[in-house]
Amino acid sequence: MPDWTFLMFLNTDLLVATVRLSTPITLAALGATVCEKAGVVNIAMEGIMIIGAFFAAVTAFYTGNPWLGLAAGVAAGGIYSLIHAVATISLHLDHVVSGAVLNILAFGITRYLMVLFFGHPGTSDAIPSFLGDYQFAVPFLSKIPVLGPVFFNQTPIIYISFFLVIFLSWFLKYTKTGLHIRAAGEHPLALETIGVSVYRIKYLAVFISGLASGLAGAYLSIENNVSFTEGMTNGKGFIALAAMISGGWSALGSFLSALFFGFADALQVRLQIFRVFHVPEELFIIFPYAATIIAVAGLVKRSRPPKADGVDFIIEKENE
Amino acid sequence: MSRNLISGNSLPLRKYCDILSGFLIAGGAVFYLGSSFLGLIPLASGAALYLFIIFYFEGREKGAGAVKKHMSRLAVPVIGIVSAVFFGAIIMLLTGYDPVRSYAALFYGGFVKNWYVSVLNATPLIFTGLSIAFAFKAGLFNIGAEGQYYIGAMAGAWLGLTLDLSPLLSIMLIYIGGSFIASLWNFIPALLKVKTGAHEVITTMMFAHIARYLSPIFIRAFGGDPATSSHAYVTYEIPQSNWLLSFRAFIPDANYRLHTGILIAVATAFFVNYMLNNSKTGFEIRAVGFNRDAARVQGISIGKNIFIAMMAAGALAGMAGITQVLGLDHKLFENLQAGYGWNGISVALLASNHPIGVIFTSLLWGALDAGGQYMARTTNTPNSIVEIIKGIMLFLIVAKYIYIYAVKFIKKKRRGGNA
Amino acid sequence: MSAVHFQSLTAGEKRGRMVSSVIPEQPILETHRITKQFPRVLANDDISIRLHKGEILSILGENGAGKSTLMNILYGLYRPTSGKIILKGKETSFSSPRDAIGAGLGMVHQHFMLVETLTVTENIILGSEPSRGGIIDYQLAKKQVLEISDLYGLHVDPDERIENLPVGLQQRVEILKALYRHAEILILDEPTAVLTPQEVEELFRVILALRGKGVSIIIITHKLEEVIAISDRVYILRRGKLSGEGDIKDLTKESLANMMVGRDVVLRVLKKDYEETKYDDKKESVFSIENLTVLKKGSQPILRDITFNVLPGEIVGIAGVDGNGQSELSQAVMGLIKIDSGSIILNEKEISKLTTKQRIARGISYVPADRQRDGLVLEMSVSENIIIGRHDRKPFVKSAGRINHQEIKNYAQKLTSDFDIRTPSVSVSSGALSGGNQQKVILAREFSRSPLFLLLNQPTRGLDVGAIEYIHSRIMEMKEKGAAILLVSLELEEIFALSDRILVIYEGAIVTELKTEDTTDNEVGLYMTGGWNK
Repeated sequence: MPDWTFLMFLNTDLLVATVRLSTPITLAALGATVCEKAGVVNIAMEGIMIIGAFFAAVTAFYTGNPWLGLAAGVAAGGIYSLIHAVATISLHLDHVVSGAVLNILAFGITRYLMVLFFGHPGTSDAIPSFLGDYQFAVPFLSKIPVLGPVFFNQTPIIYISFFLVIFLSWFLKYTKTGLHIRAAGEHPLALETIGVSVYRIKYLAVFISGLASGLAGAYLSIENNVSFTEGMTNGKGFIALAAMISGGWSALGSFLSALFFGFADALQVRLQIFRVFHVPEELFIIFPYAATIIAVAGLVKRSRPPKADGVDFIIEKENE
Repeated sequence: MSRNLISGNSLPLRKYCDILSGFLIAGGAVFYLGSSFLGLIPLASGAALYLFIIFYFEGREKGAGAVKKHMSRLAVPVIGIVSAVFFGAIIMLLTGYDPVRSYAALFYGGFVKNWYVSVLNATPLIFTGLSIAFAFKAGLFNIGAEGQYYIGAMAGAWLGLTLDLSPLLSIMLIYIGGSFIASLWNFIPALLKVKTGAHEVITTMMFAHIARYLSPIFIRAFGGDPATSSHAYVTYEIPQSNWLLSFRAFIPDANYRLHTGILIAVATAFFVNYMLNNSKTGFEIRAVGFNRDAARVQGISIGKNIFIAMMAAGALAGMAGITQVLGLDHKLFENLQAGYGWNGISVALLASNHPIGVIFTSLLWGALDAGGQYMARTTNTPNSIVEIIKGIMLFLIVAKYIYIYAVKFIKKKRRGGNA
Repeated sequence: MSAVHFQSLTAGEKRGRMVSSVIPEQPILETHRITKQFPRVLANDDISIRLHKGEILSILGENGAGKSTLMNILYGLYRPTSGKIILKGKETSFSSPRDAIGAGLGMVHQHFMLVETLTVTENIILGSEPSRGGIIDYQLAKKQVLEISDLYGLHVDPDERIENLPVGLQQRVEILKALYRHAEILILDEPTAVLTPQEVEELFRVILALRGKGVSIIIITHKLEEVIAISDRVYILRRGKLSGEGDIKDLTKESLANMMVGRDVVLRVLKKDYEETKYDDKKESVFSIENLTVLKKGSQPILRDITFNVLPGEIVGIAGVDGNGQSELSQAVMGLIKIDSGSIILNEKEISKLTTKQRIARGISYVPADRQRDGLVLEMSVSENIIIGRHDRKPFVKSAGRINHQEIKNYAQKLTSDFDIRTPSVSVSSGALSGGNQQKVILAREFSRSPLFLLLNQPTRGLDVGAIEYIHSRIMEMKEKGAAILLVSLELEEIFALSDRILVIYEGAIVTELKTEDTTDNEVGLYMTGGWNK
């Protein structure tokens, strides 16, 4: 008989952990959503996150200031994603192939730089101060039962992720650039022929996804943790992709799916700790991955991706 | 006219020449892969004979055409490799290492001193590379080959520990059974792909993570005991009768670790190549990979071929794990994070998914890794520079459009200069 | 068949045309000796045209004559190799569509440049959004759209999504898009390609109304009737060169045709070369469909209760506007989509439960509408494309599923010469061939199977007159040999030229059956638009 006393741990803490564990997935999924809305498939989130996490940690380590680390992580993610933009948009490389290459390259870059900065591969030295210290309770709102502590007593990047969910939903719907991004993923030629550069829009969208994934990386290394570890993304970039798909290519949907995956992870940790079922602990760790497969399998048919998603766009302009 | 006469009369001669050159190349390659550099002599002479045969029997034009075709195929990879080496040198200079000494060590270590390590590295890579290349041929991205590699290693270890028949028979059974189990690891991704359209990049990736976490459970079940220090994270050793033959058996001075798995890998690559080009299944897989709609209209079952491709990809990646266990490790370690599955993506892409190309790209990757280790030991340059060079190399070779731009640019320049 | 459906333009409208063709001094747009050299072809060779204000100008030419290249140069998508564009007396050069739009040019593309998931308003304002600080003022946008549609009488719901609009209205949105950007010159690229005769008439009214408001219009087309029905003047292009020009009142259809193709059009003579097959009720039909229904995602029917038969040696034409169930009908016959009820009978046997492969084996051949998507594997060689579908049967496979390359090569070589496929060798990839030759590869594959039943979906789509003629004659040959043929086509001309009977499909149902000799294209057109129950 399993020991059901663990049920008493199905409490607010579980939800708080859900939000914390879902944040990197949310951020990367938001980035992927913007990217795919513009018609660029991005499976490089894993690699971009790793780059973001590394530069955030290194900067925070050497400056002692986690906020600079945050900025560095975001910037590094943005810059690194531009390689994907160049490869897929200007060099017409298959989007999935380019993403896979970038994931591999990210591994090489961080390993080399680890040796360079810290003298060894693996895990970096601990940063002196991390963003987890800046937990902030929003006055009044944090007093709401259950939802208060879950959503309004969190750390900085988590708040940023909430803001981004709302902002990007609004951005895609109500701004010129947002409209152009949506058009670029559906019918790029229509956009090009009325004089908007599709390449520019796509570059921008990929860059935004890089910034978001960089932020997700920074969250991992300097907010949820105090150091960088190689491979610390652990498939989160791909889970984010699943969140975007099961969230129907919308910012809000991605967020809700990410919360579900975060919940699976949070639950898994608790089941593991309280050894509810007497099975090897690894079987719990597997849980979020299995949940991801189920979510993708169950929800993928409900929505459709942008029509020109992943389709190469070549302007037959000049023939020289 | 006279050419016709000659080739007509000398058909048997041609046949003998073909056989001789094939024999020299194959034999030389076996010895070379067995780390005996003497093998290079028959290998090179066989290749020269082959060239001669083409020029002599098929005429200068055809011979030159064939040479040109191979050259143009190699142009992009060679340019990519050279440029990546160049960029790597710049990075080394910028970060304070000596590129000349580093590269000398890298080359010496990878291709001469520790060539056998390169071959050992390449062996599983060929399998995983084939796995990914084969799936690509059907338009599928088996990004989770790493997972099937783990499953293959586990299945191989399990069967290796339990089967006790005559060596040849049980090794064959281990390969068949193990690769079957590994192919089943792709069953659900294939099913989901066919039934719901769930993208295999996500599903196989998730299954790869799951496989990774299953291995400690397996190890504990087969002798691993975290409480002990000697057997903490490793299974029992499989009986010697189930080991792959070592090259020592016929090349006395070969390194004792070097096993004949590489020969199985190379043979598998040729087999996959043959299947793709000469079987109706291969025909269907290529048709489905290039154009699903047109294939369907012609009555080719998309679902069936997706299943075949995914399961075959799983089996091939699984064979990497089996070979590693039977040939090199003889037991299963936890954290065998050699990343053969991930690197398989690189070697497949690098070879443009050509099965024979995969052999060479795997050897290159293996040599870079082996040379990198040697370089790190003999100079102070960190091993991980190799990872960056690999990444750049991959990027420059995959992004073929760069060369189109480059050619355009050069042409424009030239025209500009004239005007 | 004649251009009867254009006769409904009133006398007054026609008079309007005569009046406006009095040519003012300065052309609003002029090209001066435009030449465009592509790597392999000279697409435009020394082309000078003039467009006057308030004029409807046609540019007539076959596919590949260089019309689109010329328009893309005018619209800033291509830059001419030499020559200049003169706008309102000033030399201009457009480096992008944005420049062209800024200068008052608007283009309605043949394949609409509309984003299906966006609303009418979003599509119209795209790229020129009324906004403050990057935020779109949707209220204002909607108001502006309504104003323009009132001004020109082009009504359409601004909040509807494009995907929910019929084709005629989508085209209207395209025109509004140009007008929203203050276009004074409107270029319409093959504007009637996807329209019903009735929609064409409506479009022509719109065009005349626009001219009335001072808009100058260029129509690019390969349809002679349209040129005569609507334009004031015409330029004719042939193989990249200007082969004629003139006021429409001085030209006849025959002279236009002559200038366009350089010889007399023989399309319609074709059927007379072959013996007429008489429809014979007593003959056993080879192929029939009974009460076939296909539902879209289990609810909305896309094919309703379809019943018809095809006799051996007979060509049955399916006429209809694109998107009324033609592609679903083809897919249902081939087993590519599930049917919800009804039966498909070939040679007295029910085949609706069989797989595509089995249906092919029973003697169905299929020429799909989209040859590059459904017809060919472009990356595979000509020979592989010729045997695909039979790649698993003797003599193309040997024992143990091994492919017989030599046999395939011999067979492919025979067929390429039989079907006059121009290719350097049978081992080049089929993607390297021209459109006409690609279509011939498909024909060679399908016809050489000696089918009992042949399903042709738009077999000549996008091909030039020479290729069309060739393909039509091969179809007639198959008919002679006794194959039962179902011809789905969007070109009424083709339907009339080939079929013995005509079925009209409208909103997924066969609404009428007509004998070719007893009907007119106007009658068919009426059925195509659902006009019969008015």
